[in-house]
Amino acid sequence: MGGSDIKWQKDAADQNFDYMFKLLIIGNSSVGKTSFLFRYADDSFTSAFVSTVGIDFKVKTVFRHDKRVKLQIWDTAGQERYRTITTAYYRGAMGFILMYDITNEESFNSVQDWVTQIKTYSWDNAQVILVGNKCDMEEERVVSAERGKQLADQLGVEFYETSAKENINVKTVFERLVDIICDKMSESLDSEPAMLAGGARGQRLTEQPQSNTNPNCNC
Amino acid sequence: MNYQSKANKYVCPNDRQLSLRAKLRTGWSTARSEPPLTATEREAIAAVVKRAEKVDEVEARRVGRIVARLEGMRRSAQGPAPRSCLLCGETSRLLAPLRTCSICRNTACPKCVIEMPPHRSPIYSREQYMCNLCAETREMWKKSGAWFYKSLPKYILPERKATRRYNDTELARSLQDAGNSSNEGKTDSEPGSPLSVHAPTFSRQPSNTDSRKSIVSSHDTHHDWNETDILSHGVSGLSLHRTESLNQRSVAGLKRTGSKGSAYSIRSIRKEISKPLTQPERPTTIPDAGFGTLEIKLAYDNGTSSLAVTVLRARGLIGMDMTGLSDPFCRLEILPREGTYSNRLRTKTVHKTKNPEFNETLHFFGITESDLAAKSLEIVLFDDDRYGCDEMGSATVSLRDCAKSPIQLRLALSGATGTEPTGPRVLLALCYSTKKRALVVTICRAAELPPRDSNGYSDPFVKLHLDPDPYHKKHKTSIKWRNLNPIWNEEFLFETRPTELSRQNLTLTFWDKDYGKPNDFLGSLVLGASSKGRRLKHWMDCIKFPDHRHEQWHSLTDTQHL
Ligand SMILES: Nc1nc2c(ncn2[C@@H]2O[C@H](COP(=O)(O)OP(=O)(O)O)[C@@H](O)[C@H]2O)c(=O)[nH]1
Ligand SMILES: [Mg+2]
Ligand SMILES: [Zn+2]
Ligand SMILES: [Zn+2]
Repeated sequence: MGGSDIKWQKDAADQNFDYMFKLLIIGNSSVGKTSFLFRYADDSFTSAFVSTVGIDFKVKTVFRHDKRVKLQIWDTAGQERYRTITTAYYRGAMGFILMYDITNEESFNSVQDWVTQIKTYSWDNAQVILVGNKCDMEEERVVSAERGKQLADQLGVEFYETSAKENINVKTVFERLVDIICDKMSESLDSEPAMLAGGARGQRLTEQPQSNTNPNCNC
Repeated sequence: MNYQSKANKYVCPNDRQLSLRAKLRTGWSTARSEPPLTATEREAIAAVVKRAEKVDEVEARRVGRIVARLEGMRRSAQGPAPRSCLLCGETSRLLAPLRTCSICRNTACPKCVIEMPPHRSPIYSREQYMCNLCAETREMWKKSGAWFYKSLPKYILPERKATRRYNDTELARSLQDAGNSSNEGKTDSEPGSPLSVHAPTFSRQPSNTDSRKSIVSSHDTHHDWNETDILSHGVSGLSLHRTESLNQRSVAGLKRTGSKGSAYSIRSIRKEISKPLTQPERPTTIPDAGFGTLEIKLAYDNGTSSLAVTVLRARGLIGMDMTGLSDPFCRLEILPREGTYSNRLRTKTVHKTKNPEFNETLHFFGITESDLAAKSLEIVLFDDDRYGCDEMGSATVSLRDCAKSPIQLRLALSGATGTEPTGPRVLLALCYSTKKRALVVTICRAAELPPRDSNGYSDPFVKLHLDPDPYHKKHKTSIKWRNLNPIWNEEFLFETRPTELSRQNLTLTFWDKDYGKPNDFLGSLVLGASSKGRRLKHWMDCIKFPDHRHEQWHSLTDTQHL
């Protein structure tokens, strides 16, 4: 009966996923990090500004390329006073969403500093996406999309303009980041097969002639 | 985190200045010093850290299970020997020549290797096979995150609560050397997850790195297998005999833990609404993404800390059976989940409809006012079917809005993201061959089968038959010993005609082979004309597009249907 299926689904929902990626959203205060996360995780938005205390996170499972990826997404406070706490969480993060506000020049100018933070505190194969948020506020825009793109190119990262309010590109950014990390994963396993086989190679006991050209074999 | 380390190759002069400033607790944006954190702030942060610890512990257990599974596989492998399979010991046969694993270079029979996807890397260009052991090892690297941290993150083995961390071991170091030479200057701090820090001390010390600890203390346990074997299956590490002490281990931990609620957990209290709400149908003002709409009412009572969710009705649901109708029910859950219990309730099922009237009120207890601000209600609609309930759509609402007064909402359902089956499942390929005039069923593999033997594994095989079948053909796969994620890739033929197919059903039953007693039932699946949802679609695709291979995962159900 359906009840037992539900039980399975329950068990499954808790731990049944293929990969766990830890992501971090950083950027100056009030650029929209918390809103961005709420939009993605709960599909909600509020225009009231509630400053994030230190850190917070949400968990969401996504399906990408037949894989279930559990995302633990960390939201950080932009203010300096929380810096010690927030940077402690950089090290486990596989991906960063570095956010500025297109209506706030200072937040854009700080991007370079945030990059430095990442480079100082994170694991060095962490992936980064640059995001210019609040693109719904076209009238108040002070940072052009071109400048954003240019900076991203210079940093060697991908770039999106988003709106947490209007739900523009929010999902795209997360999915893209997951994809980039997945690519990185395959790449690192392909380029470092030594990790897999350890000392096994070279110690092989037999030399088996290769017979994988048999066309009759269809098992 | 180590500011003293000179050898960070990324830090350019400006950055050094910057990290100095960071160390001094002054920012680039402000020169004045900031006030210390208040008690409330500290509390809030500590609460988040605690929540994170739970997540990390769950993760450590998951990694532990992956490690244990690989370890089990390694133990049951026959070991390398001339002209025989590394895993099952089978010798070379005419139609099944042995393959060479491109990673460990051992030989394995066709059933114990997988074909590798085409790779960019030149290393793999010569052979296209990988033995199941290497494949599983690779999976473990991916699934545990070890590929990223360059060593296994901390984990907790299922049966005995043993934690192993690798940060300071020889192995971790050698792996880091072998894996990525650009890690110098960073190997000093733990490779696993720094996200598992204890609540940091918030006093203004120069650095709180030292106060960081992992959630689970790594008490030493005597492992009878060395660490290298977990990370790679070296020839030297392979156990050559099947007589292992594995069954001495208690398997309680390996058993699927049913998500029974804790004392705090919530029982469903259902109450039929006395008279159905006779509201005039309002025009649909919300965008409907094609998955229909759902009307609900939320009422919070702070006196009893309970949230009453009335599921009124749904409209325009997608059809799931042959006639285009469904048997919908709703599953409600408060998210994010806290701890191990899950706060889920379900409505009753309304049969044979696309426009169900549920009119049912479900109560969640133990919901605080701060929960309302932070949590949301997820409603997922399923099609009730004994062979697995398919998701038809879902919606999530923030609980914020019902804090003050009850609200009624009409929600657009969005498409099922969770249609990929989870839990015990099988990958099945169907192909109607017009040449052979037969349905070709390939049992590719299964995943997460329930353990039925005292060693924490099962020895699965599959029986399959078509119903009705004038030829009364019954098939069976081989037995995969001690394997909860068996790979069969075995093909079976059922003579039939396409017109017949649209009246037939294919039944698969999964069994755990036991000697001396009846086989244990593991799960079943029925695909065919009378099935629903994704199972029906798979079947119809196979009929509509003959001579094509249609491959799909399906959940197994634990009811035995014969
Ligand atoms: N117009 C508009 N406002 C936004 C957007 N994202 C955030 N905001 C608003 O900007 C303010 C700060 O957002 P918040 O998410 O708290 O920023 P954080 O400090 O980076 O977490 C809030 O008042 C939000 O409502 C957006 O995409 N568009
Ligand atoms: Mg915030
Ligand atoms: Zn074999
Ligand atoms: Zn191998």
